[in-house]
Amino acid sequence: MKKVLALKVNGDTHEVLISPNMTLLEVLRDKLGLMGTKRGCDLGACGACTVLVDGEAYLSCIMLAMDAAGREVTTIEGLSGNGQLHPIQKSFVDVGGLQCGFCTPGIVMTAKAILDEEPKPTEESIKKKMAGNLCRCTGYKKVVEAVMDAAGVKGGLK
Amino acid sequence: MRLPKFDYRSPNSIQEASAILLEEPSARVLAGGTDLLVNMKHKVETPAVIVSLAAVPDRNYVKKADGAVRIGALTPLKRVYTDSFVAQKLPALAIAASSVGSYHHQTMGTLGGNLCQQTRCKFFNQSKWWRNSRPICFKAGGEMCHVAKKEHVCYSTYCGDVAPALLVLKAEVVLTGKAGVRQVPLESIYSGEGKTPLTLQQGELLTEIVIPEQAADGFSTYRKFANRGSIDFPIVGAAFWTSKKTGESRIGFTAVDRKPLRALQLEDFMKGKQLGSEVIEAVDGLVAKEARLMLSSIDSLSQKRQLMGQLVKKAIGEAMGGR
Amino acid sequence: MEKEFTVVGHRVPMIDAAAKVTGSAQFTDDLVFPGMLYGKVLRSPLPHAKILNIDVSKAASLPGVKGVVTGAEIPDRRYGIVPKARDEYALAKGKVRYIGDEVAAVCAIDPEIAEEAIDLIKVDYEELPAVFDPREAIKEGAPIIHEGVANNTSFAIRKEFGDVAKAFAESALVSEDTFYSQAVNHAPMEPHAAVAQYDPVRGQVVLWSSTQIPFFLRRNLSATLQIPESKVRVIKPKVGGGFGQKIDMFAKDFCAAWFAMKTGRAVKFVYERDEVFIATRQRHPMYLTVKTGMAKDGKILAQQFLAHADGGAYNSTAPTMMALSCFFLMVPYHVPNLLYEGYHVYTNKPVGGAMRGHGIPQARFAVERQIDMMAGRLNLDPAEVRFKNSIKAGEPHPGGFVIKTCGFADSVQEAAKAIGWQEKRGKLPFGRGVGMGGASFPSGVTNMSHISSGAVVQVGQDGGVNVLTGAADIGQGAETVIAQIVAEELGVPFDIVRVTAADTGTTPLDPGTFGSGVTVRAGNAARIAAESVRKKLFECIADEMEANPEDLIAADGKIFVKGSPDINVLFTKALKMYQYRDLPMPLVGRASWMADTKEPTTLFNEPGNFSPNYSFMTQAAEVEVDLDTGKVKVVKMVTAHDCGRPINPMLVEGQLEGSIAGGMGQALYEDVIVDKGQVMNPSFLDYGFPTAMEMPEMESIDIETDDPVGPFGAKEAGEGTQLSPAPAIVNAIYDAIGVEFNELPVTPEKVLKALAEKKKQGV
Repeated sequence: MKKVLALKVNGDTHEVLISPNMTLLEVLRDKLGLMGTKRGCDLGACGACTVLVDGEAYLSCIMLAMDAAGREVTTIEGLSGNGQLHPIQKSFVDVGGLQCGFCTPGIVMTAKAILDEEPKPTEESIKKKMAGNLCRCTGYKKVVEAVMDAAGVKGGLK
Repeated sequence: MRLPKFDYRSPNSIQEASAILLEEPSARVLAGGTDLLVNMKHKVETPAVIVSLAAVPDRNYVKKADGAVRIGALTPLKRVYTDSFVAQKLPALAIAASSVGSYHHQTMGTLGGNLCQQTRCKFFNQSKWWRNSRPICFKAGGEMCHVAKKEHVCYSTYCGDVAPALLVLKAEVVLTGKAGVRQVPLESIYSGEGKTPLTLQQGELLTEIVIPEQAADGFSTYRKFANRGSIDFPIVGAAFWTSKKTGESRIGFTAVDRKPLRALQLEDFMKGKQLGSEVIEAVDGLVAKEARLMLSSIDSLSQKRQLMGQLVKKAIGEAMGGR
Repeated sequence: MEKEFTVVGHRVPMIDAAAKVTGSAQFTDDLVFPGMLYGKVLRSPLPHAKILNIDVSKAASLPGVKGVVTGAEIPDRRYGIVPKARDEYALAKGKVRYIGDEVAAVCAIDPEIAEEAIDLIKVDYEELPAVFDPREAIKEGAPIIHEGVANNTSFAIRKEFGDVAKAFAESALVSEDTFYSQAVNHAPMEPHAAVAQYDPVRGQVVLWSSTQIPFFLRRNLSATLQIPESKVRVIKPKVGGGFGQKIDMFAKDFCAAWFAMKTGRAVKFVYERDEVFIATRQRHPMYLTVKTGMAKDGKILAQQFLAHADGGAYNSTAPTMMALSCFFLMVPYHVPNLLYEGYHVYTNKPVGGAMRGHGIPQARFAVERQIDMMAGRLNLDPAEVRFKNSIKAGEPHPGGFVIKTCGFADSVQEAAKAIGWQEKRGKLPFGRGVGMGGASFPSGVTNMSHISSGAVVQVGQDGGVNVLTGAADIGQGAETVIAQIVAEELGVPFDIVRVTAADTGTTPLDPGTFGSGVTVRAGNAARIAAESVRKKLFECIADEMEANPEDLIAADGKIFVKGSPDINVLFTKALKMYQYRDLPMPLVGRASWMADTKEPTTLFNEPGNFSPNYSFMTQAAEVEVDLDTGKVKVVKMVTAHDCGRPINPMLVEGQLEGSIAGGMGQALYEDVIVDKGQVMNPSFLDYGFPTAMEMPEMESIDIETDDPVGPFGAKEAGEGTQLSPAPAIVNAIYDAIGVEFNELPVTPEKVLKALAEKKKQGV
């Protein structure tokens, strides 16, 4: 039986009629048209579906949309505003922390969660927290460098 | 992969949740979702009713009370290991919790959920169309165990990281249900049987984890072997607790049997002995018999057996002051 | 070199970086059309079986299902990317040949109903004996997988020059060793997907597909749907990685188009992750026996190879893969006498196809390992042996390759220096070691003739530049590189160049992204097209500037006479002048470029050039082995790399870093584990390729050789660097613990077993 869900995404509240067996990822993409969050494996093993829920990095493919009721969801679309890139996004562009771009929204959202929690992270900490975001293109070096760049931390990977 | 259809309930209290579980025998509890929802997408678990605990308040805490550390079952793993007391005084728990899956699994996954996770098997944790190549396995509702090649048995493996750490810390858990509230040693919630790994009664929920204060009076650690530094379940996980004062050592394993277990023979051998070469040399011989290793994963039994010994020896070495 | 150019050679962010970081870049699954239907494929649960009967009645009558199709209903037209190796139907006809083989498909109004419908299709199979090892499948009496293909050998290659027997007789050391390289999955982050739309009035199909080969896909669709190519349009949206796995048409492409034509509605197919692991493509497992004769000083006198590639159930790129595997044994070392025998053998397992390196990594692993082993036996330094055997640019090549630039010898020295070879090799404590591997790769294969790229450059009256190219950017940055080349050629800023790409309806012909040919082939086409625009403009304004057109330069948005940059005309002003002469706008330049070539496959019988140019590299690794658990950690990997001139050093580094991860995965972490034809680890969880935690320190050294054939001196950068990491790592493991591993992957368990063996033997 379908249920009405009031979902707060990127600051806007949406009312959607859904089957309870819809994941947050499915609702974001198929009901709200927010295609930025990607489906890499649908089983929580790659991080491509990462969104922020109340500021924390969550795997939206293994979360029921119903369980997101009353919580603040932020997707990649909600990161930049006023036509400007968010500083994290700008770092990724400048440093070249992306190639095909498919894992990028998930990685950028995880980077946001990392930097909100730890504004001046060490390289080790970034690697550990980013390790749940798989990437087959970059070898991760420029990804980590981009996060360090966004944090204003000098150094980066050797 | 779509989730199968189910009726969704979101109770506002444990009591309400318990009542639903009693009404609906095929209902399952949903905490972080990192375990159950994956199995549901694979259609190996298809509960008709999901009891989401998202709206149940007051079960997310780490506090010291009555000489024990009490952790709410719905406390995310990240909160557990970033708690300063846990990090400093109960390192086995902190290390284990921070080694579960990836960072995201640690923010979503709960301590209680991690303890109650489903057992795993290379024939079970696969999609429906993959499993069509064989008759449905016993654990998934059929007759045959493809690991043992026997009917009506299940040789799946318990692979949670946190359980062995809590076992060596002598944790107890609070189970809340219709009949009331009971507090039992953690090991008693594990049946040791693959198809129904937990002994919780119908209507019962695990609501709190209680760690006695003596757990902090010793050295503890958790050593996980996996191929990668994130995402992976352990190939073998070993927890170790030791007290110079009492001469007692406790060893816990995961991913070696149908439940997490204590290496009781090894513990017996070590009682009263100083940590040193005599103990270390005996480890391999003693751990080999502690678990019923089965080929339920793509990792070989000989590797698991070797790792059981290696991880314990490394932990002992750490306790002795080396790394 | 950077100072010479304003755009080329600079670290320019990808042309579509902003779209990607904001999530607005459109991948195939992001496309939604009104009334769109969702498709799903039914796959065989058996490795080898006759299809006796398919009952789709329950599926067809499920509410919401709008179409069901089986192999019996589709045209009897096989397809494949290599014309002579066409052996596949979009849906199996008569029998299935591996677990995962496509049997039927449905489309429905939502994905849930499609999944349900698939479950309702009942197939009766008659199981056939199956064979899983190519060395068994090649024998007499093995089950025949494809009718008419004797010994299950769909392709065999024999290439010979010189006199190997004589050379072996003259060698100081002859060694014959066998090697095995495992099945590896590309595992691109974006699963395979396709969306089709159909215009019933004009009879035209449009297919958006996550593909590397839009034009080949158009051809295959046209052939299998039996409609003219002119009625098929293939558009490539952003692609989330391919690495070769998206070369080929797949059931999702055909079935999406089929259902679109039947229903008149848009139809989308997206594969699940386990379908990608099981039923797309993987790297061919290969068994290789290498016999090498060396002189006392380490000079290679002869090499003889016997290779068996485990093809899986279908051909895919079999002949090309085997050819590459063979021919690329002729570089980077000088091999004066060579005999190669290779067999591509069918088995009832997942299909081998093109994967980054395309047959060469397996061969490279064997050769690089053996060089180390033989150097050891001759008491020579493996780095010296590589240096000594390096081919040199301009020298006659035993196979007939034309190599105008070659930085290999330099790369050996640079890599050795960067890893600290002298200080470390043989000198680090037990458990730590360094090793190296050399490699070379073609910039597109000349051997496949009629492979040309076209380009059109349009310059509008506002000064904006649009480049039409058929090149398929799959994340490597092809569009960016092409834009840089055009910007440099026209002397305009990078950010006014737009690229319209990979749309068979509007962009010029291009073979697609494989064999690392894009920068050289499509880049050259774009450059010549831009040059043609520049020339037209110069012709027009030369009089005004009182100069000859040949003496004009375009740079920094201006046009000036050579030597007098201060007397200049703005590029935009020059365009206005052109426009006011009533010459047609936009200014258009067209070009196509193809490597100089003979007819295909002559190289099997005669010497000749294989590629327009060749990249060279040496990689050196430092590893640390955990002696208790057998885990190998790659501490550092250095790459000394000759790609001619990097058009975009940032993107070249990206390629390098990514391919180190790929090579490391192949060496240590990855294996498609197949049990009686069934993939046991078809998930990101169980097929554990490296995470950020596994990555080593990476350093790259650029060796510029400025190739005359490539655009602005460029050669390939993207595949060669995935050839040498695995041997470098395994060679380093030897240095660390004295164990020779000749089979991949080198798992912790294998290391522990080997260490235990050594202990037992007292070594």
